[in-house]
Amino acid sequence: MPQLIKNRALCNNEWVVAGSEAAGSATRLLLPLADYIAAIAAGEPADSRAVLLKPEVHDLTPLLPHLQHLPLIAVQFGTTGEGRGYTQARLLRERHGYKGELRAIGAVRTDQVYFLARCGFDAFDLVDGDDAAVAISQLDRFSVAYQTSAGNLTHTRMRYGHQG
Amino acid sequence: MYRYDEIDATLVAERVAQFRDQTRRFLDGKLPEDEFRPLRLRNGLYIQKHAPMLRVAIPYGLLSTRQLRMLGHLARKYDRDYAHFTTRQNIQYNWPKLEDVPDMLADLASVEMHAIQTSGNCIRNTTADHFAGIAPDEIDDPRPYCEIIRQWSTLHPEFTYLPRKFKIAVTGSPADRAASEVHDIGLHMRRDANGQVGFEVLVGGGLGRTPILGKVICDFLPREHLLSYLEAILRVYNQEGRRDNIYKARIKILVKAKGIDAFRTAVEAEWALIRDSALRLDVAEIDRVRAFFRPLPYEKLADINVTQGQSADFQAWYRYNTRPHKVPGYRAVIVSLKAHGEAPGDITADQMDRVADLADRVSSGELRATHDQNLVLGEVRQIDLLETWQTLKALNLATPNIGTLTDMICCPGLDFCSLANAGSIGIAKQIHERFNDFDYLYDLGHVEIKMSGCMNACGHHHVGHIGILGVDKRGEEWYQITLGGSASGKSSLGEVIGPSVAKDAVAETIARILDVYVARREDGEEFLETVRRIGVDPFSERVYAAAH
Repeated sequence: MPQLIKNRALCNNEWVVAGSEAAGSATRLLLPLADYIAAIAAGEPADSRAVLLKPEVHDLTPLLPHLQHLPLIAVQFGTTGEGRGYTQARLLRERHGYKGELRAIGAVRTDQVYFLARCGFDAFDLVDGDDAAVAISQLDRFSVAYQTSAGNLTHTRMRYGHQG
Repeated sequence: MYRYDEIDATLVAERVAQFRDQTRRFLDGKLPEDEFRPLRLRNGLYIQKHAPMLRVAIPYGLLSTRQLRMLGHLARKYDRDYAHFTTRQNIQYNWPKLEDVPDMLADLASVEMHAIQTSGNCIRNTTADHFAGIAPDEIDDPRPYCEIIRQWSTLHPEFTYLPRKFKIAVTGSPADRAASEVHDIGLHMRRDANGQVGFEVLVGGGLGRTPILGKVICDFLPREHLLSYLEAILRVYNQEGRRDNIYKARIKILVKAKGIDAFRTAVEAEWALIRDSALRLDVAEIDRVRAFFRPLPYEKLADINVTQGQSADFQAWYRYNTRPHKVPGYRAVIVSLKAHGEAPGDITADQMDRVADLADRVSSGELRATHDQNLVLGEVRQIDLLETWQTLKALNLATPNIGTLTDMICCPGLDFCSLANAGSIGIAKQIHERFNDFDYLYDLGHVEIKMSGCMNACGHHHVGHIGILGVDKRGEEWYQITLGGSASGKSSLGEVIGPSVAKDAVAETIARILDVYVARREDGEEFLETVRRIGVDPFSERVYAAAH
């Protein structure tokens, strides 16, 4: 079982990917974007449906009308080398003003957590086998950065694009 | 040169701590090999044939003497007393121990150096003209912009896992001494009609398996938009670049597939949304960085004739191994790392120390690494040239061969690299032995040999006037020869002359090619010009006649 990290602590995960083995009788479901839009249109409860964003989605337009009421967007990482989710996260946070939970799921490992956080992720479904305490400690790995980005780390002073 | 402030120093120190922790977790068995791999690569650490290889970044090739001495110290303490300069103006150590690497990185940090992003699928060390700031033909000094790009690209969170590696080159002169047309992004400094500085932007160049020259995506990008435009290109690439096939993942494949016009449309659409964001560079920030690269307080000197009455050896060295400087009375000196019989680009720890001493004495206390694997003393008074030559000669660093056939680019090849199909260094030595008559080399004039041990093309063989590519044929090392490549502006990719040749026939093949040139050249025509005029067929006919 992956370990969910939020607010620098392990916590229970109530969301499961629809159709997955773990789904069972769960009520809070993650759906691919098209399915999510259909589900909401069909009147399924907006507070227990959320988007599972696949890496290949780079046009976020269909998602935008839903950002206000979405409780969660889960961005999928197929491998640790998957880089598209970092851009998706920045666009959601910076361009589209998404304020809800942004969760990295899939191949999410200790040493990605820092960069994910800087792009705006605030929840991490850490793979089973990685030490959650070590992963949490990575959030404070750097106290300075050169770039502006969506994640606001404590003590971060950015040179390019930040008045801090 | 640029000096670290507290932010830079803190970032590099924290990076060392991060890698030390990652290495410890790996050695403790808590981090699997396949997960450690991308992390160590991002810190310049490869696992090679015999040992790990550590590649240290030399941002845009600029190096202080203090830093060079530290590189010598690393060679002595952690390696086998030498290191190797690369075509990205970086330096590589071939024999470090994995467990020593965090200490090596800490030593580097103490002199404001690092190995961040010298490998891996991320933005690599930005390269530049090695005569930046001193070239007579320069429009403006590109190094402040290189430093700004270095900072922006270092640990950029969004571009940490690109589809593939990404290389940027910047040149401030009309002459291209940075091979910018074969980079993922090439930036050419320009001035507009009002004298404002900006960049012509090329995108989608690259070598490797599918060599392509970069295409112009923007004719003139005002300098304040540099980072936002780069970020727009990288963002489109990060989202749309192929990730299903490592051989089709470079941006050149995306640009080719979309077409430059559609790619430009996508970039400009993204750029429109971020161009006036926080990425916009203000004049104060540009000036802050430019201040680190102010011209020296040059003495008021006149150009003098330093070769008059001197030995033929000194005259040859002056002619081949020195270059004009924008300030009268000064000259740039190329330190040849192409001594015959030595591996091109290699330098010993003692040579590093002594060259550093020399640079402190006769130049500015700074050196430049060139992408063709030599060093440059950029600020030598002409009256000091004789002493400079004598010192370099005693160090075996004054071989008067710059720009000639034996000033070869050469990758480490099969001797070290686990990717290579064939050796390079042995071939370089074969060429050195065969072409050891300097009168003949000088008669041939400007000829560039570039050699790679595999199609990854670290040795830039596609853009060699003569390109040599090592291939594996049923377990044997063979070599494919191309002619007519160039990366010096009006670039071209070499054309294959025919079937690959056996290892012991490479020098003979080159000799035949040169015979054709000597027979067919017209007045004052350089090798490349002759190849372009007559095509490769006459060369092929001669190479494959009879003996083969």
